[in-house]
Amino acid sequence: MAADLSSAALAAAAAPVGAAPVLRTEDLGIRFGGLAALNGVNFAVARGEIRAVIGPNGAGKSTFFNCLTGVLRPSSGRILFNDDEITGLSPNRISRKGIARSYQITNILPNATTLENVRIAAQSRRHGWSLFTHHRAFRDIIEKAEAVLATVGLAAKADELAANLSHGEQRNLEIGIALATEPQLLCLDEPTAGMSAGETDDTIALVRRIARDLTILIVEHDMTVVMGLAHRITVLHYGAILAEGTPAEIQSNPRVLEVYLKT
Amino acid sequence: MTARRTRIFWMAFAVILALLIVMPFGLPEFWRRFLTEILIWGLLAMSSDILIGYTGMVSFGHSAFFGLGMYGAAAALLTTRPPSLWLALLYGLIAAATVAAFVAYFSTRLRDIYFAITTLIFSQIFYVIIFTWTDATGGENGLAFSRPALAIPGLFSLPFTTLTLYWFVLAVVTGSYLVLRRITRSPFGMVLQSIRENEARTRAIGYPVERYKIVAVMFSGLFAGLAGVLYAIQNRFAAPDFVFFVVSGEAVIYNIMGGVGTLVGPIVGAAAFLLLREGLSRLFPYLASVASQHGLALPGLAEFPYLIPLGIIFIAIVIFMPQGLLGFARRRLNE
Ligand SMILES: Nc1ncnc2c1ncn2[C@@H]1O[C@H](COP(=O)(O)OP(=O)(O)OP(=O)(O)O)[C@@H](O)[C@H]1O
Ligand SMILES: [Mg+2]
Repeated sequence: MAADLSSAALAAAAAPVGAAPVLRTEDLGIRFGGLAALNGVNFAVARGEIRAVIGPNGAGKSTFFNCLTGVLRPSSGRILFNDDEITGLSPNRISRKGIARSYQITNILPNATTLENVRIAAQSRRHGWSLFTHHRAFRDIIEKAEAVLATVGLAAKADELAANLSHGEQRNLEIGIALATEPQLLCLDEPTAGMSAGETDDTIALVRRIARDLTILIVEHDMTVVMGLAHRITVLHYGAILAEGTPAEIQSNPRVLEVYLKT
Repeated sequence: MTARRTRIFWMAFAVILALLIVMPFGLPEFWRRFLTEILIWGLLAMSSDILIGYTGMVSFGHSAFFGLGMYGAAAALLTTRPPSLWLALLYGLIAAATVAAFVAYFSTRLRDIYFAITTLIFSQIFYVIIFTWTDATGGENGLAFSRPALAIPGLFSLPFTTLTLYWFVLAVVTGSYLVLRRITRSPFGMVLQSIRENEARTRAIGYPVERYKIVAVMFSGLFAGLAGVLYAIQNRFAAPDFVFFVVSGEAVIYNIMGGVGTLVGPIVGAAAFLLLREGLSRLFPYLASVASQHGLALPGLAEFPYLIPLGIIFIAIVIFMPQGLLGFARRRLNE
């Protein structure tokens, strides 16, 4: 009993339940022709939370991220970020509001250096319209970029072309680019896809570290990783929310077991 | 390492500039003028490199910007007495920038081939307007005017000679190069290169990509217009032929020949292309005359279509030096 209480208290400390949600969707839906890729999604995530979004292939997880970040325009419903409606805004506007993302398929500037990949992201907040000063003269941006590279463990590779990094390093660079825009909410779409077990552990440790200052949505297929990392889990199935709860609740939910965890 | 490279760069820059300054002394009048034209076409090609090489957009609208620079200069030179060099520059740049802003606003919404085609259509629209609006533009015949003097009012006034005009053009092209080089390394220029590398990602990290493209097209158009002003001053006329999209195509060819994304490459490309064309056009009549001196009649040789070997050389460069002449030379030097 006492043990139960203390673990509940721990979870509450880690995930401030009851705090105003940083992100909320109301009845969010999107159709591709006849296919409802998202359907009536009512979703909310509290500030400081690590939320995992899971579901079988084609459930609509990436589509959900694409709607949140403005890549796709929802067919119905609303998205609110800090109680501010952002439905249908362009990706650059949404980025400026404080939502960043990484991609399921690595999406970097392959012919730029590792440093330049994060430097250009950091520069998006300041000095972007400066025309006649050399970009290296803006020390604040370089320092920010170097700090981000240190965070994601790529400081030693700063001058390497991004194309020459290993797959795992590119996945972490992907996170670094997102971090350099100084987001409040970070959406990670399968950040460990294609990584070795060791790399996965490092990346998950990285996610835990950066989660101290941010809210995180993470799509992840490895259930042991998800159960150990997330405060709460949302299960998507055919574009709709099938279940939501703590890892323990999700693990024992019979509907989830039926459609997802049984395989 | 980078400091060393910067030093090498500025040393090479100084040497080449010094060579270009003294080069006309050894040349007859015709070649002095030819060298001036190479610099002017090089400036046009360099302006389009901002889009092709740095932003990843191929424009066929540069003939319109070039042409408007020409006609803007013509307007200033025909309406003010005495004709003023600085007003010609001012009018030409305003005309080119206005048209560039207009074209940029509508064409940057489209990407890749659709952007290229839109700019091509715009340049043809301006061609038709200039061709048919005879009262203002002289229509098919264009406009002829006298050359302004190289003057600073109240200080001095010198009539342009072939030599001083060459130096003036060299100064403008060198200045343009330094400005464009600075722009391509500025935060703004780095965003353009990020757009070239990965447009969607650039947008996702917060850049309003369309606005950056609009400003890029405007800068590019401004320097193309500057080339048009110089051409008008050099040749003392403005003609609709220079608004025709083929001129834009030539700028693209100079870029490909010299190497995109280098700024200097397009000038090298323009020089190589124009010198080759001039040389080949003289080669066949020369061969025919040599042959006839040896009693050999080769009918048709003098009229051999020299553009065919020029085209073959161009294709060979594209195939064997995909990074252009400058890229090829650089790799050789680094080996
Ligand atoms: N742009 C699009 N046009 C048409 N259909 C799409 C588009 N994007 C996604 N879909 C479809 O929407 C459904 C959801 O796809 P989504 O990529 O969101 O799934 P996911 O949950 O991320 O799957 P995975 O685990 O494989 O990444 C799929 O059936 C997919 O084929
Ligand atoms: Mg996905």
